[in-house]
Amino acid sequence: MLKAEIFVAFLLLAIGIIAVVDSVRLGFGWGMTGPESGFFPFYLGIGTVICSSLVLRKVYLLYKQGRAGKRLMPEGALTPILWVLIPATVMIVITEFVGLHIAAALYLAFYMRAVGKIGWVTTIFVSLLVPMSLYIAFDKLFLVPLPQGLWGERLIPF
Amino acid sequence: MAGDIQNLMMGLSIALQPYNITVAIIGLVLGIIVGVLPGLGGANGVAILIPVVVTMPATTGVILLSSIYWGALYGGSITSILFNIPGEPWSVATTFDGYPMAKSGKAGKALVIAFLAHGVGAVVGVIMLTFFAPIIAEFALKFGPAEIFAVMMLTFSAFVGLGGTSPLKTVAAILFGFILAAVGMDIVSGQLRMTFGFVELMGGFNFIVAVIGLFGLGEIFLTVEEGLNIEGIKARVGLKDIREGLAEIIRYPKALIMGSLIGCWMGLKPGGATPASFMAYGFCKQSYSNKDEFGKGAPAGIIAPEAAAHGAGTSATLPMITLGIPGSPTMAVIMGGLMIFGLQPGPMLFKEHADFVWGLIASCWVGNFLGFFLVLGFAPIFAAVLRIRFAIILPIIVYVCAIGAYAVNNRMIDVYWMIIFGVLGYLFKKLDYPLAPMVLALVLGDMAEQAMRQALIMGQGSPLIFFKPPLALPIMIAALIIFFWPLISAWKRK
Repeated sequence: MLKAEIFVAFLLLAIGIIAVVDSVRLGFGWGMTGPESGFFPFYLGIGTVICSSLVLRKVYLLYKQGRAGKRLMPEGALTPILWVLIPATVMIVITEFVGLHIAAALYLAFYMRAVGKIGWVTTIFVSLLVPMSLYIAFDKLFLVPLPQGLWGERLIPF
Repeated sequence: MAGDIQNLMMGLSIALQPYNITVAIIGLVLGIIVGVLPGLGGANGVAILIPVVVTMPATTGVILLSSIYWGALYGGSITSILFNIPGEPWSVATTFDGYPMAKSGKAGKALVIAFLAHGVGAVVGVIMLTFFAPIIAEFALKFGPAEIFAVMMLTFSAFVGLGGTSPLKTVAAILFGFILAAVGMDIVSGQLRMTFGFVELMGGFNFIVAVIGLFGLGEIFLTVEEGLNIEGIKARVGLKDIREGLAEIIRYPKALIMGSLIGCWMGLKPGGATPASFMAYGFCKQSYSNKDEFGKGAPAGIIAPEAAAHGAGTSATLPMITLGIPGSPTMAVIMGGLMIFGLQPGPMLFKEHADFVWGLIASCWVGNFLGFFLVLGFAPIFAAVLRIRFAIILPIIVYVCAIGAYAVNNRMIDVYWMIIFGVLGYLFKKLDYPLAPMVLALVLGDMAEQAMRQALIMGQGSPLIFFKPPLALPIMIAALIIFFWPLISAWKRK
């Protein structure tokens, strides 16, 4: 828990510093037309730096007392989370090539079969039916174009 | 008053057009499903459909979005009563008594009580909306940039002072949201901020993508972490249940009134629905003599939090359309939908697009009314959604989230952002950084900055403009008191 706490606090600290640095570049004072571009982000950045430092201090004090806090996630919870995160990321990377619907069909099939241990019939049925109906709904009925990827146009020719 | 009723009638004539009713029913069904499924809440359900809504006329589109919201409000109670899983955070309090009652074989009755309480909460909320919204809007017309900024300060102070989580982390989350909003082109000078030469960052962060990531994926990570083994109670809603439910509702008018009023009051302030349901439950428990029945299936323990949750959900519409300040993440997304149609929520909306505003208000009446009968009639069918293995539902949710994130701007980079926001949402949730104020800051960022800069120009650089009587001063003082409330109350205790 504390490690994650420190990580997030440092992340916020870094974001605060980025905001301040960039605001200094843009100018954070009073310009020709009122407050300059960096005016608002400058104070936001300062505030973020202060808040995250205070959080860090709090966590450090807890750490010094030797209290590790409760675990961030229950024992063995990381595996199912990664089983969602990694295939989902892979799906998006594949989308760049074959388009979202085909990538999603592969992803659905993979997840249901490998993680959910669901029967082949259901797996194939769902992973074909869902992308097909969403394709018809979005691309054809509502005319919301979804990513086709590099080769998507040739893969779904209709 | 008479004028309001006349306007409402005009709105009803829009909301009751067959096309709009069909859209409302579709929205409600989707909303109920979204509310039933863990890992897919109202905010994301609305966010995913934004790209579809753009293809419709404005009023119809907003009817669809708000119907999803009403549906999600109703749907949340189905899961908390039958499965002991709160589908939405504001239905946690319902599990205390709803699930025990369902377990004792009165599942149908528990559902009916919950839906009736919802219905009453909604009616009270909508009445308030109908008659107070025009007054507040009229008043808000007097607001200049300084007053608008003060109102925003008040909004965010409410999260800090009354939010219940660590004030320090709340402030950090709000500032983080504002910084994200500042990325990209500066609306006033046209300069690029915090993009560091990356073309992808020039467009800034879209809050809809953030909502889908934070609330959609983040919620899914939380759900799989808990390991899903859903065991539900089978329920059928028969005429006998409806009769018994009605009788119970009539027997506990105090719980009903208390719940609705607490809900409507809390709904006005941001992030209200969840604390409202807990507060209503707590107050209700205190005020009845049969305290030990609470937690074992007391009807009043279902009525109060449900009425409060729906009352708060409905009254959250009020600050959104009158001031342009959404009370909840879902309302923020609905407001995003309005802005896509080129409708700037705020007092001018009442003047410039009266037909739209009254159509929306009327659709609150229609949507809540229809929603009530939908859940009453089909609750068992909706509950069946949860009996589908989660390993099938989960990848579909991820897929739909990806569609939503992409379609907002037709940019692939947004889908990657969605994943990153998902991880961030999970971490934030775990570490008690509140997500709702962060999303609101992201939504209101540009508006807040513009108001601040304009006000400062008007005041020639003096920050005293934010304390200008008669309007800005009291709002700002209230904001400061609420902001420092955690410190004040700590000091008072000593």
